[in-house]
Amino acid sequence: MKLATILAGAGLAALIAAGPARSQELTIWHDLGDNGNKWFEQVGAEFAKTRPGVTIKPSSFPTDQWFGRVIAAINTGTSPDLIYNNYERVIRIQTQTNKVSDLKDVLGKISDKGFLQEDDLRVATYGGKMIILPVQRVQMALGVRKSWLEKVGETYPQTWDDVKRVAVKFTKDDPDGNGKADTFAMALQAAKPRDLIHMLDLFTFGSGLRSTLVDAKGDVIIDQPAHAQVLEEFLKTYTVYGFVSPDTINHSFTDMYQVIEGGRAGMFRVGDWNVKKWDSQAIKGDFVVGPWPQFAADRQNAVVIGGMRGVAIPENAPNRPLAIEFAQFLLSKPAQQASLELVGAAVRKDLDTSNLSERQKFFAEAKGKLVAYDFPESIHTWYPELEAAFHRKLMAALASPPKDFKAFIAETAAEMRELKAKLASKP
Amino acid sequence: MQPLVGQPFRLGALFGALSRDGVFYAFVAPFALLTCLFGLWPILLSFQVSFTASATALRADASYVGLANYVAILSDPEFRASLWRTLTYTAFAVILNVGFALAMALLIDSRFITRGRTFFKIAIFLPVVTPDIAGYVAWKWLYDRSFGAINAVLDLLGMPAFGGLASVSTVTTAILIAELWHHAGFYIVIFLANLAVRDRTLDEAAAIDGATTWQRILYITIPQLRPAILINCVYALIQFLKTFTVVVVMTKGGPADTTNFVSYYAYQLFDQARYGEATAMASVLFGIIAIFALSAYALGNGERGR
Repeated sequence: MKLATILAGAGLAALIAAGPARSQELTIWHDLGDNGNKWFEQVGAEFAKTRPGVTIKPSSFPTDQWFGRVIAAINTGTSPDLIYNNYERVIRIQTQTNKVSDLKDVLGKISDKGFLQEDDLRVATYGGKMIILPVQRVQMALGVRKSWLEKVGETYPQTWDDVKRVAVKFTKDDPDGNGKADTFAMALQAAKPRDLIHMLDLFTFGSGLRSTLVDAKGDVIIDQPAHAQVLEEFLKTYTVYGFVSPDTINHSFTDMYQVIEGGRAGMFRVGDWNVKKWDSQAIKGDFVVGPWPQFAADRQNAVVIGGMRGVAIPENAPNRPLAIEFAQFLLSKPAQQASLELVGAAVRKDLDTSNLSERQKFFAEAKGKLVAYDFPESIHTWYPELEAAFHRKLMAALASPPKDFKAFIAETAAEMRELKAKLASKP
Repeated sequence: MQPLVGQPFRLGALFGALSRDGVFYAFVAPFALLTCLFGLWPILLSFQVSFTASATALRADASYVGLANYVAILSDPEFRASLWRTLTYTAFAVILNVGFALAMALLIDSRFITRGRTFFKIAIFLPVVTPDIAGYVAWKWLYDRSFGAINAVLDLLGMPAFGGLASVSTVTTAILIAELWHHAGFYIVIFLANLAVRDRTLDEAAAIDGATTWQRILYITIPQLRPAILINCVYALIQFLKTFTVVVVMTKGGPADTTNFVSYYAYQLFDQARYGEATAMASVLFGIIAIFALSAYALGNGERGR
């Protein structure tokens, strides 16, 4: 009887071992659209080679919906296993839920991570916690329509003075050749305060400066000569220069893209995520990409790292250990290669770029000098409120341009200093 | 069926009514239940959320902060400005819409239009049934300063360009016109219905007595339109206090917050997951709408009682 029991037990154990691996599904919520879904599915298939039975179920949401859904899910205990987005959006998730895992130890266990730079890790950290594993650098540069440059007899603008000269020709010389005065030099956005600040960040960091509103110590710097010069040119670009569509003040992300893709603007921001689409559709590769133009001879211009996209794991993720394994896998070479090919961005530098277009290579091989956003909100708790007041001042200036921009900048700086002192003194 | 309203409450009377009108209540019950579930419950839930800390608002164990969210929004100068902006915009919009609708209804009903009355009625009601987003997108394009039809026409006529949605001084007018286009047809139909049932003999008697057309409109016709004026004003008040879609589609609250009305401001806070403050704003707006609606209801009852 005893022998029979042992034999039966052994048989059962053998059956379990020989049976199919237990299937497990990891859910990941992101906002990268169809290309993002394809990427996660491809990486999931690769991951399943070492973890049979595991499937990845990606779901893409429009960014606004992604944010609300993630917060609601985490707060109601129905969280996905992984969330994927820009660092600054994950900060908002953390501040609203306080349930984003600290991934310091998870990163510590990855041996192959030399490609991550100090700036990458700095922007991935908030309140002492590593809230994302950095997976894709968000790079932004200046794009200029190649055929328009040829039509007006210009080359890619290297300096801000070049930009202004080319801009006048793009506005007045019928660069699209349709016989109508219907073109604009640049496409920008300003409908929402964040839209405007993203554009200002591009001008500021692209010019080689390291802060937009306050420096690392928290001092307001907008009236320092180098910063004031960029801010003044930025405001004039929206207003008195007449380089942008007169409705730009109401242009959101979508409207700006309509101006770009509709062939109405000659110079525009190009993000690494735009290139794949604009190589084949809409602009059909008719654009040159380069660093943001140089503002001052003694300061090197740059390609802007507008953030870091990465993977985060909610503390109440249903399959947390497996989610951690998959998050680590996203930094592996196959996952990064797929990311580069399908989404247009990665963090590894040992990837094969031979199949990429020149424009994709510009970002993938980090050909320009890179300058990252400063993210003062991760250091100063009062910063978001100060920034909101700064937004309002800038929006008011766009709506009713000041007669004297220098005086406006000086006055704004004084107001911001006063407000900062008030906010910083709050308990 | 005997109405229960206005009678002192007696349990026996209630059971009597239930047994007498059982079929009526059986038919009404599902819809009453749906109204409670999808109408009243979300409102109550919204009030509840307005007393919680935003970060915990969606949790089962939400932490309650009393009136802190209400204190926060009422001490926010942006909210106060937004509330004032909403009230002034509503006042303008109600006067413009109801006034325009009244004038159009009187014109359509008058003897000046002898043919094509049905065509005008359909034409004026069409924008009401047009999806509002599609309508406002079209208006946004019309106002566009680089390719919009309005400025193209002004340019042809040699007139100065209209700032449209891009200028602080013209944006409110621009969205008022778009809203007028979208909503006026509804108010006109209500006025036309009231005009159709008015006592025309009074008008004829006044004409025989030598009253001018203007005097007949002012002293005979308009007083008979009081019920329609009241309904339209109440409906328009509710409509414009909640102004939202036109802002989302056309201006995103700009330029420089000129069209940042309370509904849109609350929506922006929702977007930032500041649920407590956002629902507090929605509750304040709900309170204002309720006060206006109940006042109008009381006013209407007073009119009927006279």
